[in-house]
Amino acid sequence: MAGETQLAEAAKGPNKRRIGKTKGSKARKKAKKMPHASDGSRAMKPKKIDPKMKKLYRKRAREYDSEEEKEEESGGSEEEGEEKEAEAKERRKAEEGFSDDEEDDEVQPGITKLSEGCNAFRLAFRSIVKKSVADDVMGPVLSGNKKLIAEKLAEEDAERKVKGEAKEKQLVIEKGHVVKPVNYDPHEKFLISLATRGVVTLFNAVSKAQNAQKGLDPSRFKDAKVIRKRRKEAFFSELGKTGASAKAQTSKGSVENEGPAWAPLRDNFMLTNSKLKDWDKMTEQVGKDDIGRMSEDNSSSDDD
Amino acid sequence: MARFNNKRKPFVKPIAKKKLATVDHITGDKIPKSFVFSRGRLPGPLRQLKADLKQLMNPHTALNLKEKRRNTLKDFLNVAGPYGVTHFLILSKTPTAPYLRVATTPQGPTLTFKIEEYSLAVDIKHSQKHPRCPKDLFKNPPMSILSGFGSGGGRHNDKEPPQLKLISAAFRNLFPSIDVNTVKLSSCQRILLLHYNEDTKLIDFRHYSIRLEPVGVSRRISKFVQKHQVPDLRNLQDVSDFVTKAGYGSESEGDEEAATVTLASDLGRVNRASSKSAIKLQEIGPRMTLRLIKVENGLCQGAVLFSEYGDGNKKEDNHEDAENEEDGDEEEDDENDEVDSEVGEEDDEDMEEN
Repeated sequence: MAGETQLAEAAKGPNKRRIGKTKGSKARKKAKKMPHASDGSRAMKPKKIDPKMKKLYRKRAREYDSEEEKEEESGGSEEEGEEKEAEAKERRKAEEGFSDDEEDDEVQPGITKLSEGCNAFRLAFRSIVKKSVADDVMGPVLSGNKKLIAEKLAEEDAERKVKGEAKEKQLVIEKGHVVKPVNYDPHEKFLISLATRGVVTLFNAVSKAQNAQKGLDPSRFKDAKVIRKRRKEAFFSELGKTGASAKAQTSKGSVENEGPAWAPLRDNFMLTNSKLKDWDKMTEQVGKDDIGRMSEDNSSSDDD
Repeated sequence: MARFNNKRKPFVKPIAKKKLATVDHITGDKIPKSFVFSRGRLPGPLRQLKADLKQLMNPHTALNLKEKRRNTLKDFLNVAGPYGVTHFLILSKTPTAPYLRVATTPQGPTLTFKIEEYSLAVDIKHSQKHPRCPKDLFKNPPMSILSGFGSGGGRHNDKEPPQLKLISAAFRNLFPSIDVNTVKLSSCQRILLLHYNEDTKLIDFRHYSIRLEPVGVSRRISKFVQKHQVPDLRNLQDVSDFVTKAGYGSESEGDEEAATVTLASDLGRVNRASSKSAIKLQEIGPRMTLRLIKVENGLCQGAVLFSEYGDGNKKEDNHEDAENEEDGDEEEDDENDEVDSEVGEEDDEDMEEN
């Protein structure tokens, strides 16, 4: 908006000055200079203008326009008088500088207002000073707040209580949570070494098992046959090597199947519990499976 | 517009019968799958722990399992059947402590652990200078290492408390077993360590990633091979210096002897089958310290077989909290119940620390 009005003003500038143009070279000079200067100043201005000023400018522009219209209305007849007027105006401008002239009008009412305000201020101040206040411990100013302070203290107390509760709640939430775990204490190192040992045994077992079947593709039938054969051999050789201990283990295992006093460790724990109808047939199968599985297990576990 | 709308048919997604791989295609073993969820409302850090556990159980878990407040245990159980889910990991929280329950579906048993301490994966990450997370870290199931749970061979069976065996069986069956003859080394990326401390009766639950580094190759060269970046040769007199000049020996050089392996196959660009490689573990994932407090016969119900706070035959004690309200009795006949949901002896070969 402000920009538009300024533009309008700028457009009207030369129009107005055409009146003064007839007068003389001096006026023309000024007329020539003016738009440039004002343009420059305007180009600078938009950044500086604050809303209050904007309003003023707009108002002034309106007034200016109306003046011009008046001038144009009364145009032809009293041209000379107007010219004088314009001349006088321009002279004033020259004296005060272009931008000052704009502020000029608006500063003066401000000053008068301030002077008026001073009077009001004085009255108000006098009334305050005249006021008599009861003498108190808290002093005249805080006397009104005495009650408020107590209230404030109580409030703070309550707040602290709430905060404490929140803290407790937070503690419950965070219970057991170790936010900053220690990585280098001996226990952790021990655990890592434990895990490393486990991984090493696994990898060794894997390499041992897979080196044996190197160059053979288990997906090919022929190779698969060979692999199976080798595994079988390995298994039997293992059996021969540790025959006694293995036997002892298996025998112990079979005893143990009857053995554990604790129900869930027995093989038929769930079978007796669940409502299987033909459990007697199942046990035979399971038993067979177990035997087969056990032999497999031994082969693999003895590998490493 | 209207015509256009008329023409458009509602898109119906063809119901593809996706075959769920419940069985390992090589070994033919059944792949255990798991649900990780919570009972009751969890506070923020525990919710994060739940997410971490899900990540740990990857890939055979329901990562996007959504639960609602009104979901009962029965709901999960009903879903678990068709999807072949074999284990539930249930997190819950009471004012005293958070709890983790590891249950076998559909019939139990259920192990209830009290989580004495825990650190989230994020906490671990923040505590490390160079946290590591390769892309395919979570594409394969972790391997489990159980230590301190007594001998797997069954030598002193009578001595060791039976609940330990139960724990080791439960955690071993949580992950697919490894067949040493067919396993690919590239799929061995992370490891879950459970260590039972006999004195304190606490179980340390750690999750590590496995890194392999060639032995005898200087750091510079291995980095050069891995990263393909132009090395900084400013301070060297000759190009050969780059190769010959020894880098800084690390402090752990001494115990590397124990941690070296010869690989069965090439692994990555640096680790060749012919050369030796050192195993380095770096912690990831959640860290927990667990204490077994209860073993139940059924799925979160049934007879108490073991209780930390007293005789197993006694009724439940103070740690039993409100979220046992799910009173759905799973005793009703599940026709598809599996015989092998019982505590198996050593069904699978896995590496027990010995």
